[in-house]
Amino acid sequence: MTDTVQPERRKFFDLARPSRQHLLGYILIAPAVLMVAAIIVWPLVLAIDLSFQQVKIPRLGGASRPFSISNYVWLFSSPEFWLACWVTLKLVIVVTVGSVAVGLSTALLVNNRFKGRTAARLGMALPWAVPEIIAVVIFAWMFDTSFGLFGWLAIQLGFTDQMIPWVSSSTAAFWAVAITMVWKGFPFVSIMCLAGLQSIPADYYAAAKVDGAGVWQRFRWITMPLLMPVLGVTLVLTLLWVFRDFSIIKVLTGGGPLRSTQTLSIMTYDQAFQYHNFGRAAAVGVLTLVICIIASLLMLGRRSKSIY
Amino acid sequence: MRRTFAQSLALYATVAFTLIMILFPVYWLLVTALSTTDELYRLPPTFWPNDPQWDIFARVWAAKPILMWLWNSMLAAVGSVALSMLVSVSAGYALSRYSMRGGATMGMFVLTAKMLPATLLVIPLFSIFSSFGLIGSLWTLVLAHSTMIIPFATWMLKGYFDTIPKELEQAAMVDGCSPIGAMIRVVLPIATPGLAATALYAFVLSWADYAYARTFLVNSPDNWTANLGITTMQGEYVTYWNDISAASVFIALPIIAIYLFLERYLVGGLTAGAEK
Amino acid sequence: MANISIRNVSKSYGALNVLRPFSLEIEDGEFVVLVGPSGCGKSTMLKILAGLEPASEGEIFIGDREVTDLAPGDRDIAMVFQNYALYPHLTVRQNIGFGLKMRGTDKTEIDRRVDDAARILEVTPYLDRKPKELSGGQRQRVALGRAIVRQPQAFLMDEPLSNLDAKLRVHMRAEIGALHKRIGVTTVYVTHDQVEAMTMADRVVIMQGGIIQQIAAPDELFNNPANLFVAGFIGSPGMNFLNAELRDGTVTVFGQQMALPRATSHQGAVVIGLRPEHLVLGDAPVTFSVRPTLIESLGSEKYVYFNVEGARIADGEEGKSKGLIARVSHTGNLPRDEDIRLGFDPDQLYLFDAKTGGRL
Repeated sequence: MTDTVQPERRKFFDLARPSRQHLLGYILIAPAVLMVAAIIVWPLVLAIDLSFQQVKIPRLGGASRPFSISNYVWLFSSPEFWLACWVTLKLVIVVTVGSVAVGLSTALLVNNRFKGRTAARLGMALPWAVPEIIAVVIFAWMFDTSFGLFGWLAIQLGFTDQMIPWVSSSTAAFWAVAITMVWKGFPFVSIMCLAGLQSIPADYYAAAKVDGAGVWQRFRWITMPLLMPVLGVTLVLTLLWVFRDFSIIKVLTGGGPLRSTQTLSIMTYDQAFQYHNFGRAAAVGVLTLVICIIASLLMLGRRSKSIY
Repeated sequence: MRRTFAQSLALYATVAFTLIMILFPVYWLLVTALSTTDELYRLPPTFWPNDPQWDIFARVWAAKPILMWLWNSMLAAVGSVALSMLVSVSAGYALSRYSMRGGATMGMFVLTAKMLPATLLVIPLFSIFSSFGLIGSLWTLVLAHSTMIIPFATWMLKGYFDTIPKELEQAAMVDGCSPIGAMIRVVLPIATPGLAATALYAFVLSWADYAYARTFLVNSPDNWTANLGITTMQGEYVTYWNDISAASVFIALPIIAIYLFLERYLVGGLTAGAEK
Repeated sequence: MANISIRNVSKSYGALNVLRPFSLEIEDGEFVVLVGPSGCGKSTMLKILAGLEPASEGEIFIGDREVTDLAPGDRDIAMVFQNYALYPHLTVRQNIGFGLKMRGTDKTEIDRRVDDAARILEVTPYLDRKPKELSGGQRQRVALGRAIVRQPQAFLMDEPLSNLDAKLRVHMRAEIGALHKRIGVTTVYVTHDQVEAMTMADRVVIMQGGIIQQIAAPDELFNNPANLFVAGFIGSPGMNFLNAELRDGTVTVFGQQMALPRATSHQGAVVIGLRPEHLVLGDAPVTFSVRPTLIESLGSEKYVYFNVEGARIADGEEGKSKGLIARVSHTGNLPRDEDIRLGFDPDQLYLFDAKTGGRL
């Protein structure tokens, strides 16, 4: 009645044996570890190494310059660096707050049931699907100094008398970048918040209504607390995105005028590929990374695991 | 919950207003593309061109190598997504099923990789690729985009695999599969939606890159990706906004199409990984 | 089918010991149940038997073969899981035949055997459906089909009925029992439900904290529990326990001193055990009066809850205890606010050492 018993596996390396089963884990993760080591860890280490050398254009395999902290010295004493820090801080705050505000509002709006809700939801998050470069094309024209729509609108609405020189005015340029980034950035917040809102069990609201809570109270005591984890993670991710962004700023204003839109990320790039000083560029870049890490750890604290 | 007529009206009005505000720039892109240059250089701007130049699309398509740009973006995307998925699916599965020493370090690494600015990594990568003579080749993008995709995909896939019960592999092993057999015959077929979502999102990530493309390919016009190509239409002194807008429509269309038709997958993947 | 020999199998995760050395000889065709509360090590033992976890120490033999480090697929066993573990992307037919397909059985043979198994388990109408279209009971039968189709030497079952509702559980219990009678394959069955253990097993292995408490047939377990834990675990409602002092062969319980039926030289703190069903209303060798705290009526039976000095809460029941219980046959109304006369025969008392929990 019994089945013919399979001959015992000839393979010496039979991963199905209980004593060997756990080995598969290591085997499967090996390619990732190797790839990551090769294209992320090693370059990162190289970058850190570069930052400690006084080098313009390094040659891989060439003799490395002596260890020197002159890049960092230059960095901390350079007004350009501090300006970049300031610009980054301003931009991060403005764009993050803006994205979260718009994102959360649109999510709350679309969370209601109404005809055409799916279309509305798709439409509201559409900017996410527009490539950053294209967003820049759109907004660069809308912000055009001579014929841009926004300038004309500002005059019509009485904010100003003449066309705003978006690209030659520091303040104007900053706001141009900020607005473009908010338009690109809020859909992500919206999508995540909507998912978070929809995962709040309806029972909670039912219980609250029975307890006599009004709309605002339900929002404050049920929606917000339960949404906090998602909101927190999204906030940090948006923040990191602003820190890192290159496409929008570089193509819209190039970092100008007069470095009024030069974030740390742009400065890192320009030091390397405009001023051809890889050592300094690496220093700025490494420092930016460190700031990012500290900022997110501070913001998430013990809950840093929630990003992964 | 029944709404009063006033409440409904308010809701629909708000929704409509918000949609208009948000989608207006996209609409404006189309308007700009269809306008004649004269019309563009005039105030007040017209909200729909008096004489829509529908043939601008054909003209721009002929004048600029848009197809080639799109093709290059596609090559880079397919290459980097394929490479990354191979690596990430295995790693995500391993992280989901096996507790390993260094599981926490993996987590830290994923976190750091999300913060790593392209503008930092591009510097050493440039050195490395220069020494290997790869500058100007699309292979630089395959590797560079993978640096963005692998950490994110591994994390997303791990979250997805976590939702598949381990008993399925156990049953498969009792039925006679090896552990790898169980993964391939049982888990992967079930995980296909998650794999698709991750691959899709990775595709969008790759398509969106500009920093790496600009740095590595700027001197090889034949290998320009879509994003890079568009920026070259921005003139030093004068930009033909209708031309560049028309070209932009071509470039934006693929991703917008993916978004509209496959949004379910994209968003599902994003949010499933996030809310754990 | 074959016998199973488990010799000194133990399992530790680093410093955490989850299974103490476990030895058991299972006869060919026997239905053995491993039962115990969560975390007692029963599932771990089953997984080790299946080859899904490596044992830290010990050996396992199925038939005459040592299988301790053999792959699960090479042990000639089949397993039924708590959550059915049916492959959602395959039809019922493909699910049942999966194991045969992995072993290279040819198609006609697979079809024949799948049809046979489906017939036995009455799932033939569902053969071309996917698992998600089936109900819990149907899925479990498919899982059983997947197990029997390979005609293995042993079945391993990991709490297969825990996900079913109460009525279905009773029904499936009988079905599994009938299946065992019909096919007669050696079965190792894990559950936390003592009712399943009592009704289905040839022999029961009670475990707690990774240690075997007792191995015996169900009746033996009920009548002669080896220690306090077994006595309290088997039987529903659980045995009543009272703390008492044993002096020179007599104890004082319910306010009365009595001699114990079995002579023992033990002195000191003991725990007296008395099953609720051994308490009767009215006349008996020993009687006492109590005011009930609660009376639950089940129609022809009543559960009378009462408190007595010295009542002891059984292990694991903290917070759930409502006092001592008498299970008496009685129809009609039992006045709640009056004292009741209960009685029992001292011969039916159990005696346990208060320190070790062992039976005296």
